[in-house]
Amino acid sequence: MPSRVHRGLSLSVATVALTSCASNAPQDTWAPKGPNAQIIDDLQKPVFAVAGIIGLIVAVAVGYAIYKFKDRGQPIPEQTHGKPALEITLTIIPALILTVIGVFTFRTVFDLSKTSDTEMVINVTGQQWWWEYDYPVQEEFGITKPIITSGQLVIPAGTKVLLRQTSRDVIHSYWIPALNGKRDAVPGRVHTNRIEADEPGIYAGQCTEFCGLSHANMRMEAVALSKADFAKWVEGQLAEYKSPAEGTLAKEGEGVFVNQCVRCHQVNGLKRADGTPIIAAPDENIVSGAAPNLSHLMSRNTFAGAMFDLLTEECRKEVWGADSASFGEKYLAGVSEDCLNQSDLRGWLRNAPEMKPMYANPALLANTGGKYRGMPNLGLTESDIEKLVAYLLTLK
Amino acid sequence: MFTTGSKYYIALSALASVAIAVYLIFVGPSSIGATALFGMIAATGLLAGLALYTRDSDTESPTGAQAASAAPSASMWPVVSVLGAVVLLLGTVTTPIVFVLGIVVLATSFVEWVVQAWSERASGDVTYNDSVRKRILNPIEYPVLATVGLGVVIVSFSRVMLAIDKSAGAVAFIVVASVVLLAGILFATRPGLKRGLVTGICIVGAVGLVAAGIASGGAGLREDLEMAAEEGHYMHRECGPEKSKYGDKLALESVSGKSSVIATIEYVDGKLVANVQGVNGPQESVTIPRSNPSNILFRNKTEGEFRLVAHLGERAVTDGVVEKVELCTQLIPEGAEQFLTLTIPKPALDKPYTLEVAGVDGQSIEVVVP
Repeated sequence: MPSRVHRGLSLSVATVALTSCASNAPQDTWAPKGPNAQIIDDLQKPVFAVAGIIGLIVAVAVGYAIYKFKDRGQPIPEQTHGKPALEITLTIIPALILTVIGVFTFRTVFDLSKTSDTEMVINVTGQQWWWEYDYPVQEEFGITKPIITSGQLVIPAGTKVLLRQTSRDVIHSYWIPALNGKRDAVPGRVHTNRIEADEPGIYAGQCTEFCGLSHANMRMEAVALSKADFAKWVEGQLAEYKSPAEGTLAKEGEGVFVNQCVRCHQVNGLKRADGTPIIAAPDENIVSGAAPNLSHLMSRNTFAGAMFDLLTEECRKEVWGADSASFGEKYLAGVSEDCLNQSDLRGWLRNAPEMKPMYANPALLANTGGKYRGMPNLGLTESDIEKLVAYLLTLK
Repeated sequence: MFTTGSKYYIALSALASVAIAVYLIFVGPSSIGATALFGMIAATGLLAGLALYTRDSDTESPTGAQAASAAPSASMWPVVSVLGAVVLLLGTVTTPIVFVLGIVVLATSFVEWVVQAWSERASGDVTYNDSVRKRILNPIEYPVLATVGLGVVIVSFSRVMLAIDKSAGAVAFIVVASVVLLAGILFATRPGLKRGLVTGICIVGAVGLVAAGIASGGAGLREDLEMAAEEGHYMHRECGPEKSKYGDKLALESVSGKSSVIATIEYVDGKLVANVQGVNGPQESVTIPRSNPSNILFRNKTEGEFRLVAHLGERAVTDGVVEKVELCTQLIPEGAEQFLTLTIPKPALDKPYTLEVAGVDGQSIEVVVP
């Protein structure tokens, strides 16, 4: 065989082999971490095996035929048309294989669409380019008031959670490979999606339906906590808002937040000087009608649709690398001043569209009525940013 | 210098250039239309270049030479192409649908024309050349024609059903179905029927159906559908005296609504119960995301007529003047159902949002907007 062919073959084999060498692959579809993903895995592995074997047989047969019957100047063999017995056999065998696969596939589909054994319900709403999670009142989990958060979905491990998914603008798709398959979030519809994590930990995901400019940056993370840690998380989310102490930089930051950010971002419990509660009005400023609720922002590890980490790389490694016994404690510690990823947060406050592509200039958009898609550049001064960062750090 | 094939493609390219000029002047810089025409210019330009470079794939083959020397047969495609071009140009000054129709006719005639011209040069044997054409085009022509034919039948029949009275519609449906069945039985049991007779029956039936469809389309929708369309929505949103006689008539909207219900509210024997999709058991509250249209289905299972009322707080009308924000279904009898679509931009401040049955105290479902 010529050396050129050898080189080509070696390169192909090496390329295929290298693709399986990724050490950091949080979205690996072959590594289920919960029963729903396991059901899919139990189906896909045999199907891939069968398909692989058939593919190999076909490839070998074609290769053999090409080599054996290549043109060596021999006369063209007698041409025949049709061989009913062979054709029927070659139709029946694939039909049988597909029927068997179909039976198991349908069983999997029905298993994954079951809702009767739900233990916890979370509403998931997608919009360009972030996910909102709201937890309806569920006394059995200590959720006595609705909880609303974004970026990171927090669930108790070992609990059957039902996500009720919808969208505010275009079609998105929710996918955390370690916990279940993909499920579209469609405007005007509610789709259910079961997830359950076996162990505490963070499981990464990605929007899988092209949804506009920053589709690739619309990420999500599911955080599974032990039941005891989840109760602590709920307690933290239900904690009353504490205004920063007078005379601090954070208090000045609260003022900047009230003047600039509450047009879109809600912080539950935040009040005006006259004591009236502040309700954000994203419906008046943003096409989707919603912006992330920033209550308890520093209890999350990410911001801007989970595109950026709130934690520095070192601190994040500690949380992601923690074993399941210590994970909850590390996650619940939230973001401290030492661990805050100041660089990305300040960059975001300075000019958000520069960090994440967004249609943030309404002048360039048709039919939005002057509303933004995503966060615009607010033109904050460095002093305002300093104050805002100090204030946001208090939202724990 | 210019080969026959290259002249053909150059002419197409020139035609597309004229079309794009006309399009840009009369329609404006629409990205779809301009892209299509630019694509056509580019494609035909490329093909013209290839035809010139390869000298129309001229070979020394004796059959090719023989075929090339034969005169081309009569073809309807030049005429159809011209018709397509006229329709396309008309489309630039009328409506986009006419423009698209022109493109379809033009593209179809070009493909047919090109394949016919090519197949006539395949060999010196006319029968063989015809079989070559059929082998390439029949697998496309038959499904396309069948689809178009079926589409015409469906559209025509649906126009008739939308125009005539509901009861007459049922009768018409039975009559047409019976005639089709009888014709089918006749054709199946009498294989010796003259081909002309079968064709005649089919043509008369098709023409009759299309004519009835056109006549019905001209007559418009029957009254209740027209009134429902005029109301703008199948839902009755106002909470005052009943104005709508035709709620729930637009089947299309009703179906789309039913396929995306966030919660079903039932009034069962004097009790208000909420069933939330995906959540087991009756609920006392319904959580809906803010700023997101959410369908609530109200079902009356109590004797008498009732309506569901959504109390959604207050809004400022002018300085110091506020009004209640309420949405209602119509009064619906026992066994009936109707939708409310709620789009709530902000969470409740002092008083929670609720769903209640008008005139019934002590029964309410909370609407939570986080």
